[in-house]
Amino acid sequence: MAGNPACERFVPMLSPYVDGELSSAERVNVERHLAACRDCTGRAADLRAESGLLRVGLDMAVDDVDFKDFTQRVMARVTPDKPPFMERLRLAVSEMFLYQRTAMISSLATAAVLVLVGLPLLMSDRAPVGYAAERMTVKSIQPYRNAEVAPVVMETDNGGTIIWLVDEDSDVLPPSGVESGERQDKTGGGQPDGNGRSVPARPVPDAPRPSGGSL
Amino acid sequence: MLGSRTHLATDDLTLVKRVRSGDQRAFKLLVERYQRKVYAVALGMLKDKEEAMDVSQEAFVKVYKYLDHFKGDSSFYTWLYRITVNICIDVIRKRGGGGEAVEFDESQAVDLSEARIGALGSRLGTNPQKSALRRELAEKIQEALATVPEKHRAILLLREIEGMSYDDLARTLEIPKGTVMSRLFHARAKVQKILSEYLELDEAKSGVGGE
Repeated sequence: MAGNPACERFVPMLSPYVDGELSSAERVNVERHLAACRDCTGRAADLRAESGLLRVGLDMAVDDVDFKDFTQRVMARVTPDKPPFMERLRLAVSEMFLYQRTAMISSLATAAVLVLVGLPLLMSDRAPVGYAAERMTVKSIQPYRNAEVAPVVMETDNGGTIIWLVDEDSDVLPPSGVESGERQDKTGGGQPDGNGRSVPARPVPDAPRPSGGSL
Repeated sequence: MLGSRTHLATDDLTLVKRVRSGDQRAFKLLVERYQRKVYAVALGMLKDKEEAMDVSQEAFVKVYKYLDHFKGDSSFYTWLYRITVNICIDVIRKRGGGGEAVEFDESQAVDLSEARIGALGSRLGTNPQKSALRRELAEKIQEALATVPEKHRAILLLREIEGMSYDDLARTLEIPKGTVMSRLFHARAKVQKILSEYLELDEAKSGVGGE
């Protein structure tokens, strides 16, 4: 070993010295030697540089690797055959509470708020029935044949039916071709056609507008 | 970074207990925690990326398989690295010939007179301007590692990558602490010599003296 003969004793201690593995007494001795020996100071600097290089070199090499599938591949190799459904469910729920506790609590809180606010809204029947219905439209008027009164049946678009009773106006003349005394509904009533079939009643154009009756 | 140990959210032993009770997610966390370091050790040992990847996966599979054998009286990571190093040594032996590395005679003192003392430290220092040289040497270091016998290489890698103490190294590799110290010293001397020679060659080629 070149230089100071004391180096022979201290050189093997330089590696544990840079690693911080010497006792305090040994460290003091090494530092005293380093203060007097340029070679060993250079050796200690080399050891530190080498240590840094090794880390940088391996860091660089590892950074080039994509670990995206690594865990999946390992897990695929260690995962046993599918456990029973209930066991999987139990594990999934316990894992969710273990690893995603905050997310789970906030999700449950959100769900509770939605139920508390949304359920009463859904349960309340917002659409009024009958005349007050929001989108009530009269789709057809079907007066009954031979009725003593002239009811107007109105079907709404939500499937409901409104029967509107119209007062009979006896002053209206029966249409031509109809036997005298036969009661004819002014607002409709089927008429036999030429083939003996009943033709659906149609409202008379100049008939007075029906007035509202009681439901 | 490979060398830094940060405070862990859930400690290894707690995760190991969870894995034993059937919690697959806990094992996934262990894999994610150590995959880079285990791969770095395997790469340093084997020098081959594909082989290093296979060995890393195999190490985790073995850990899972033999988890019941882990007594918990030592750290989980020392056990994991022991398995990794042993698989690497098996792979190296199966390759045959033991590669370029020649066993050291540890009883003999290392002759450092051939190496240029202080060359690495003075040329690299901490100056970021020298990052190009640092990168070049970092690549070269893989070749230097390959010349070190595998048992010495393992110690050097575990020390630098995981920052293991000499006591942990002794436990991991099941050797006396004195042997750890001796092997580490020889391994470093060998790597340093190769890097210094490379630097000398580089200087001779470019005609650059000391900086």
